[in-house]
Amino acid sequence: MKITDEVRISDNGFVFNSKTGDSFNVNPTGLELTKLIALGHDFDTIKNIFLEKYELDDLTFEKDFYEFCALIKYHQITSQEDPLDFK
Amino acid sequence: MSKLKLTIAVTGLNNTDNPGPGVPVIRSLKASPEFDLRIIGLVYETLEPGIYMEGLCDKIFQIPYPSTGSDELIDRIEEIHRREPIDVLIPNFDAELFSFMKNEDRLLRSGIHTFLPTFKQFQERDKDKLPDYGEKYDIKVPASLNLGSQNQISEIKEKFEYPVMVKGKFYDAYMAYNPEQVKQAFNKISSKWGLPVIIQEFVRGTEVNVIALGDGQGNTIAAVPMRKQYITDKGKAWGGITLSDDKMLEITRSLIRKTKWKGGMELELIKTVKDEYYLIEINPRIPAWVYLAVGAGQNIPEALVKLALGHEVAPMESYASGKMFVRYSYDIIVDLEKFETIAMNGEI
Repeated sequence: MKITDEVRISDNGFVFNSKTGDSFNVNPTGLELTKLIALGHDFDTIKNIFLEKYELDDLTFEKDFYEFCALIKYHQITSQEDPLDFK
Repeated sequence: MSKLKLTIAVTGLNNTDNPGPGVPVIRSLKASPEFDLRIIGLVYETLEPGIYMEGLCDKIFQIPYPSTGSDELIDRIEEIHRREPIDVLIPNFDAELFSFMKNEDRLLRSGIHTFLPTFKQFQERDKDKLPDYGEKYDIKVPASLNLGSQNQISEIKEKFEYPVMVKGKFYDAYMAYNPEQVKQAFNKISSKWGLPVIIQEFVRGTEVNVIALGDGQGNTIAAVPMRKQYITDKGKAWGGITLSDDKMLEITRSLIRKTKWKGGMELELIKTVKDEYYLIEINPRIPAWVYLAVGAGQNIPEALVKLALGHEVAPMESYASGKMFVRYSYDIIVDLEKFETIAMNGEI
């Protein structure tokens, strides 16, 4: 899974897809997740970062992470050749 | 560098909620650092807002509608030309293009340059010929059916699933969910634009557009893709944003290469969720959102004027994506004398 080349992410949480013209606002947690995905971190690394930083259990993170990934994929912010690939 | 002194005549100063491209074309030309311009505004109606916009035109002339006859229109242009020698004429309405294309040589003999599509290019892209066009130039188009009379409305259900788009030959488009709505749209459109009325398959997706300029040799001099962000009830863009979409550029370049398109154009496309692009219309002129392309780095009217004058123009390869335009309405206070002058004298 990678953030597509056409996507620009601003530090204030404004995400713009220059291929579709769509723009979104993400909250600080969404921004943090998006940036970690953009850096190319895999699921386990992102999970460890979040578990260390926030009071959060594995299952809740996993559920929210996949939900968020499905959402940004739907909006063509990420591309995924393999639907089960979250590396 | 000395500036090129030019007098340019422009039509389409109707900057209304269904705006003509005249005002943004003039704005684009004035943004060029290479020209020293005198602008002649050509108007059909006395209430076209461009007449009253301060600093836009140096002189305004009223001209007769092309429907009164091509000769009347061209005679009037030549009369204006005798008083205010015109170097380049940029027509901006679909409905007037035919008259100007027909009289291209006559205008040139008088010293008026234009840069218009050829008759073949203009006619083969007619909405009622779109399926043949798609096949000839290998581009996806929605299926369509031309209605010559209301009796054919019953044929729609054999060929399409509702909803369908009901379109006029030149302008107007309505979505219809059943034969009754098709009938209503048919009556509205045929009384205004004549026949045939075109039934087009409704393709689900996002409408995207490309403004482009072809040099008539197959080269794309400029191309900028855009998505409408805010659409009026007339389907016009009230806000839009430039896109970075290689596929749209590829479609545009391929079409210009194959057709050897000459002049400005706008491609109207539907992008489906499967990333397929359907061509729904080609407007054979510069669209009203041209100033966005200038803002993004491609001054299409400037390039068109140079091409009209026979200058070499290098293709513009880059533009800024994510540039937006937002239209606004504005009330101009006008003294009655100004309106009286244009209404009574046909010029101001």
